[in-house]
Amino acid sequence: MAGRDLGMSPDRAFPGAGNGQAGAVRVGPSIFVRLKLRLIAGNLRGDTTRLLGFIFTLIAALLVASSGFIVMAMLRLAPADIALDAGIVLFTALLVGWAIVPLLAFGLDDTLDPSRLALLPLRTGQLAAGMFASSVTGVWPIATLVITSGAIVGLAGGIGGVLVGVVAVLLQFALCVVVSRLITTSLSGVLRTRRGRDVLAISAIFVVVAAQLPNLLINRGIGGDPLAVLRGLASALRWTPPGMAAHAVADGGAVALAELAVLAVLVAVIGWLWIAALRRALVTTDASTEGASVRNSRGLLARVLPDGQLAAVATKELKYARRDPRGRVGWFAALAVTGIMAFSLNGQEGTSPSAALAIGPACIGALMISLQSCNSFGIDGRSLWMNSMAYGTARDWRTDLAGRHLAVATIAVPVLAVLSVIAGLLAGNVGWALPAVISSWGVLGVGLGVGAVTSVLMPYTVPERLNAFTGAAPGQGGIAFAGSFGAMLGTGLLMLPVTLPVLFGLSWVGVLALPYGILISWGGRRLAGNIGFTRYPEILGAISRPA
Amino acid sequence: MTDITDAVRTQGLFKRFGEQVAVGGVDLMVPRGSFAGLVGPNGAGKTTTLSMVTGLLRPDAGLIHIDGADVWRDPVAVKARIGVLPEGLRLFERLSGRELLSYNGQLRGIPKAEVERRAEELLRVMDLTESADKLVVDYSTGMRKKIGLAAALLHNPKVLFLDEPFEGVDPVSANTLVEVLRRYTASGATVVFSSHVMDLVERLCDWVSVMNRGQIVAQGPLEAVRGGRSLNEAFLGLVGAPANGNGEEGLSWLGATSA
Repeated sequence: MAGRDLGMSPDRAFPGAGNGQAGAVRVGPSIFVRLKLRLIAGNLRGDTTRLLGFIFTLIAALLVASSGFIVMAMLRLAPADIALDAGIVLFTALLVGWAIVPLLAFGLDDTLDPSRLALLPLRTGQLAAGMFASSVTGVWPIATLVITSGAIVGLAGGIGGVLVGVVAVLLQFALCVVVSRLITTSLSGVLRTRRGRDVLAISAIFVVVAAQLPNLLINRGIGGDPLAVLRGLASALRWTPPGMAAHAVADGGAVALAELAVLAVLVAVIGWLWIAALRRALVTTDASTEGASVRNSRGLLARVLPDGQLAAVATKELKYARRDPRGRVGWFAALAVTGIMAFSLNGQEGTSPSAALAIGPACIGALMISLQSCNSFGIDGRSLWMNSMAYGTARDWRTDLAGRHLAVATIAVPVLAVLSVIAGLLAGNVGWALPAVISSWGVLGVGLGVGAVTSVLMPYTVPERLNAFTGAAPGQGGIAFAGSFGAMLGTGLLMLPVTLPVLFGLSWVGVLALPYGILISWGGRRLAGNIGFTRYPEILGAISRPA
Repeated sequence: MTDITDAVRTQGLFKRFGEQVAVGGVDLMVPRGSFAGLVGPNGAGKTTTLSMVTGLLRPDAGLIHIDGADVWRDPVAVKARIGVLPEGLRLFERLSGRELLSYNGQLRGIPKAEVERRAEELLRVMDLTESADKLVVDYSTGMRKKIGLAAALLHNPKVLFLDEPFEGVDPVSANTLVEVLRRYTASGATVVFSSHVMDLVERLCDWVSVMNRGQIVAQGPLEAVRGGRSLNEAFLGLVGAPANGNGEEGLSWLGATSA
């Protein structure tokens, strides 16, 4: 039959396209540029939120590009050595950014994945040129080029300096592109497996937290003299490729030419490595995930709890907190934010030590943990149908929420206890850990109660492919924001009956935080159970959106 | 036929998404104990109909009765009686196959020991014992359909709804699915499944409902619907597709020796 013919003889199936090397189609890089532009445009068609998002991106890129250019250009006003040091650090930062960001965004840009293009009749060289062209097409690459060229204004001296500068800037830009291509291509096999993406999803959160580090260090005054820090950094980075590029712009002489030659060779070598990696990636099939078995243990909670819905949901939630990268990221983010906040609260000079220094961080931690539950059903997503097929009454939905709360509490209660002790130690009195732990457990209860209600009123889809930039499916960012902000506000307001008397000196009222929290969480589940039962088809729809 | 002999009966079932009417007044009827096929081209409204019948999607209008009980008025009675394999293999991906079955059983209040006994048997029959402790996210399509069917059967439902159970399934797994379903209907239970594959429907079903553009265009015992022709011919006639295709004039370059 015709089907077999098509399979067996490609030459016949694609006349003129498959006749070996001689007949290969002439495809220039411009086709890839147009493909990229077409993909960007197609993404925006008929979707107002995406269009708005793109406009926002354009404005952001414009701002970043112009301010980056101005900062680079302003280096001219600084003393020459400091300007050079700053240039070296900025060039390096750009390269690092190019190496990391596309990796985190993998899957958002189809032109980054060579396997999509593997079936096209293209030679590896053509493919490389094309992918290079498509990866320099876009707002952020152009912004990078603009920022980098600011260095010509800021650092270069004389006509020779400008000429050398132009070449150095182009080489630095090319270096950014080939390095990022090499990294994504050589990891593309891993990134296409489930396990690889899991690891990446978790590493995304580390990048976000690491970005906070300089901030913290400066807040704490650890860095000391910022100029000394700059000098130290620059001298360490002086002989790295971006360091040489920046130096070449400033130098403009014979040394600069030598540095440019080194850079050019480096770009060529990395480009060659990239083509080799590309060639391999095209013929290597997806590393199929040889799924390892999970331990078939029952866990402590399952052994203690009576058999039934509550135990089923609670143990499942605990497994998800461990096995789903989104669960792990959620917990890690909550704890990291708390840590950062506690650290910077205590770092402020001039505040007299008081119990508030222990209670504050512990309560913030409780709030952060409970905020994870403001969209309780989100991570279940489309699979929640299994629960809704089994639940016939409002009571079932209440039990489901109770199971989820129990799972959160199983982790959060000991974590908050430890956190309170640490906060007490940092604040200077371990005794303060007691009020801290009681009030944080209270906040957790209130937060869970409020979260149960927002979960049924404002559910949204949590994308399976987590990246560092969004937490909701396209078009649901507003609901996600309203949900978590509403939960935060609601928790704050509902805590007032306890916090106000404490603030006015009636500190014994703080003891009531725990029973009060338990009461609110019970009330929240009751309310949410009734709402959830009447509108579960709508909840199911809201958390099953394609992301 | 009276109400009580019907496993599934809908009246005037209607659903629109924005401007688009997905299901426009469907009167689906499936006699008790039958192996029923719901067939139709893509976009005919099969999945929307099955979602509404199983209580996963709220209809804009219409009544649905399963074994005489109203799906939206008496959910407890209905949900205990039905098993579902929804479209798109939506399962708890981060549970292992065994954990998924025991989770489902516990949600439905079946005692743990009984759940474990049934799960072991289902895993064995579905030929999933070796993969029972792997995460569902790492399962192949055939394995996912099998574990989904196992989960749907676990509480011994009276009526089973399967949305495209054989799509993307290898012949060996498909055979397993068919064997299990045959045994199940032989015991007097009802199966309703949607499919594109006419040969399979013809081979398995004794009752067929044909959907097109949100309407039921034919419904009844298999013999009556196909009326002496093959089901495929009858189907193409019912949905108004040209018998010989109409692509003869175009595509002249396809298979030609020069570009």
